[in-house]
Amino acid sequence: MTIIIQEDSFSISKMILELSEKDNVGAVVSFSGYVREFSKEKQLKYMELEHYPGMTEKVLESIVQKAKSHWGIEQTTIIHRVGKLLPKDIIVGVIVSSRHRSNAFKACEFIIDFLKTDAPFWKKEISDKGEVWVSERQEDVIKKTNWNKLD
Amino acid sequence: MNLKLLFFANLREKFGFSQKEFTLSKEVRTPEEFLLIMSKQIGGEWINLFEDKRLYKVAINQDISSWKDPILEGDELAIFPPITGG
Repeated sequence: MTIIIQEDSFSISKMILELSEKDNVGAVVSFSGYVREFSKEKQLKYMELEHYPGMTEKVLESIVQKAKSHWGIEQTTIIHRVGKLLPKDIIVGVIVSSRHRSNAFKACEFIIDFLKTDAPFWKKEISDKGEVWVSERQEDVIKKTNWNKLD
Repeated sequence: MNLKLLFFANLREKFGFSQKEFTLSKEVRTPEEFLLIMSKQIGGEWINLFEDKRLYKVAINQDISSWKDPILEGDELAIFPPITGG
């Protein structure tokens, strides 16, 4: 398991390649999230992302452990940016490898769904309409709740 | 009793600090009680936070907790709005 929190940008394709070269890999599934240039009729200038160092890593490790216990996955890389992000910048990458595709698909979706609601990151949007802290999306909460059927 | 308090996002901006060590003259049993004491002793933003606490989350020693969970000497208490990463 690799967890990286950094200000710099990253290449998701390079990270996919790195994971694909490890042992026992028949499938690699990745999710990458980007900054949208428009949201709710606002034109975004940039975004500021902050996190809770220490707790973030702890929560992400626990999410990956849960994913491992449900699906037989091999390797996981989570990379999340903090600091100032511009429209179209990459924010987050989740890459999961497994022997067969089904486990990697499910585990990747599980990890990003829990990251969205449980990993302590906060986004502030600076747009042509001013500054606002992004509020929680109910869809994200529902997506996470849907996974409870697994337990 | 000593406590380390961390604020994030809009709370960090409202209070003007991201972390601070507090030495309290008496024992505080829960995060809720801590907020109550601060709102009585200092007032201002602390009163708003106490009243709006259901809008915020609390972590004790980096574990998500409830406002009524126990806190102990030297604990790290973090208060923040709902998470919006990814």
